[in-house]
Amino acid sequence: MITYEFSEEQEMLRQSVREWAAKNLTPRVQEMEKNKEIPHDLIKSMAKMELLCPTVAPEYGGSGFDAVTAGIVGEELGRADYTASTAVFYLVQASWAYLFDKYGTHECKSKYIPPATKGDAFIGIATTEPGIGSDLANMVTTITPNGNRYIVNGEKNYISGVREVKQYGGGHVTIARQNLQAGTRGMTLFFLPLGLPGIDITEDEEMGREAISTGGFHISNVEIPKENIIGKEEKGFYIVHEGYEFARAIIACVCCGAAMKSLENGISYIKERNAFGRPIGKYEGIQFPLAEHYTKISMLRDLSYKALHMIDLEKEGKASRMEVSKTVAMAKMICATWAMQAIDDVMQWQGAFGYNKECPDQAAYRAVRSFTLAEGSKEIMKTIVARELLGKEFITYR
Amino acid sequence: MKVIVCVKQVPDTSEVRVDPETGTLIREGVPSVMNPFDQFALEEGVRLREAAGGEAEVIALSMGPPQARSALMKALALGADRAILLTDKVFAGADTWATSLTLAAAVKAAGKPDLILCGLQAIDGDTAQTGPEIAHRLHLPQVTYAEKIMLDGRTAVITRQTDSGYEVVEVRMPALITCTPPADFVPSTPPYSAITRAKKKPYEEWGVDKINIEADTLGLRGSPTQVKRVFSPPRRDTGVMLEGRSAAVIAGELFQALAKEGIL
Ligand SMILES: Cc1cc2nc3c(=O)[nH]c(=O)nc-3n(C[C@H](O)[C@H](O)[C@H](O)COP(=O)(O)OP(=O)(O)OC[C@H]3O[C@@H](n4cnc5c(N)ncnc54)[C@H](O)[C@@H]3O)c2cc1C
Repeated sequence: MITYEFSEEQEMLRQSVREWAAKNLTPRVQEMEKNKEIPHDLIKSMAKMELLCPTVAPEYGGSGFDAVTAGIVGEELGRADYTASTAVFYLVQASWAYLFDKYGTHECKSKYIPPATKGDAFIGIATTEPGIGSDLANMVTTITPNGNRYIVNGEKNYISGVREVKQYGGGHVTIARQNLQAGTRGMTLFFLPLGLPGIDITEDEEMGREAISTGGFHISNVEIPKENIIGKEEKGFYIVHEGYEFARAIIACVCCGAAMKSLENGISYIKERNAFGRPIGKYEGIQFPLAEHYTKISMLRDLSYKALHMIDLEKEGKASRMEVSKTVAMAKMICATWAMQAIDDVMQWQGAFGYNKECPDQAAYRAVRSFTLAEGSKEIMKTIVARELLGKEFITYR
Repeated sequence: MKVIVCVKQVPDTSEVRVDPETGTLIREGVPSVMNPFDQFALEEGVRLREAAGGEAEVIALSMGPPQARSALMKALALGADRAILLTDKVFAGADTWATSLTLAAAVKAAGKPDLILCGLQAIDGDTAQTGPEIAHRLHLPQVTYAEKIMLDGRTAVITRQTDSGYEVVEVRMPALITCTPPADFVPSTPPYSAITRAKKKPYEEWGVDKINIEADTLGLRGSPTQVKRVFSPPRRDTGVMLEGRSAAVIAGELFQALAKEGIL
């Protein structure tokens, strides 16, 4: 059995990030929610704490975090920012810079990763399109070689961080079809700077996580150099899952942080709030769900760090591909639902205030809801777990 | 230049709760942190080392149970060059008298410092005695309540808080200074690279054999004072708030209220 214990460095980092967040992040969440923006000086402060693209090698400005260490930061940001906006900014960038760093060319990486580690660029992911999300094989965006360059056409939407890229620079790790006959076997992964001519960005309004943008972009005859190809041409589908798995496991940690923080808010409230002559925390109807949520989130937390630890073990050849994707999918499958259930009860305990916009927990609820979809829906996670249990011949769409 | 900074691990008093039945503090499950006054002293020490250049060295020194290692690891991450934890059963249960005896002996054993920096007080006991007692035992001049320290050759120029404002004093080194952060002090939070560097720095644990003092005079046995009970005073009602009107109106109301109470 794989168990995991945090190292002294990791415990120290957790404490340090918690103290940093208490001073620099939590007091500003309300302002961020209102202005629908993460202030640039806060992003710079995250950079100073070495929280941006932290897995990347020091050569490109990172700190060489392993996956577990990256998860700790995700959990702490999930606790500290009830809108989860900074957690999303952090985790999307961390996960896709991780993949970019692993498979990108030196020319492209050295242009885009160092500014992102300093908070002067954003690195995101763009796979989803108006017509497809889960079903990558049917996407319409194409990439076509043209001499030494490539032409990209198509459209992406529901993409996190589009405004941040417009504001600061950077771009998105993007996937498109190159061999149109080959489905997922003919897809290429590349880095698409959103500042290029031919890219037209629009922004959406989401139900939560107000301070980070989501939007889409049309791509019409956009030219990118060969150096922007990530990994091998037509092999994008085989490596994109590494970014996804990294992101999914960190999302599970973010959900744990958000849910535990919410339960702590709930614990303080139910001890103080009186109804029928005693604190409502004395009633079993309140105590039992508290005990159940605490138990579930503690289990989820163990599973989330186990998934991250397995990503680290796989790098050393000590965990199999199947085990990694199954464990990650198990954590991602339940994380948002369990966190939402916990936060929902904390809102309920707070009565009418729980439904008020002033209540941090309702914002956390709306934020966590996005993780039932973002970086892979909970249903798709179940198909992955089932695939690993039943074998590839049971994949629905084959 | 050699700077020794005394660092104490304390319960995070912002998280300490009071048992409603007994009125005593519940320390169980309360996280431990580096005493905030000591963190300021340490950051001052590191800043002075940077300014001094050359062979300057900052040593973080603590007495406490083995878990106090984490406060010292943080000190190393914040820039101390090495750390010493005084940890031994015979040190346990010490009041400020026995603590200062132990720390002073350890300072001697660690070699002659040019400066000893302490936090003004520890947030768990609030005595502000340990620093001055160490100075006394080592026959060193002491300056308390320091907000800012500048070095000018062998002289330290110190801006210290007083009840009525600030006082600037000079002291010849070696000296002991107790430090209190200015209102705008923002404690540093070390990033990962500083934490991994800290792990590679020298860290030692010393028992009583290292400091050349009779065990009888240390710890609980060497402590003339003992805490009988820790409790929180009964909660007082909130006072009357005069607000929302002009200052002149509020001043008038305040005058009348004080007159009614027979204070004026
Ligand atoms: C806030 C937010 C931010 C996002 N950010 C990004 C981003 O930065 N980059 C990016 O590329 N995408 C992003 N997404 C998109 C996200 O990845 C997709 O929403 C997700 O992959 C699902 O795709 P879809 O929405 O097209 O749903 P569809 O794939 O159309 O699925 C519709 C529903 O059917 C279910 N379903 C589909 N197939 C199956 C099946 N085989 N079995 C059972 N159920 C199935 C799905 O789970 C879903 O519930 C974001 C989404 C949100 C909400």
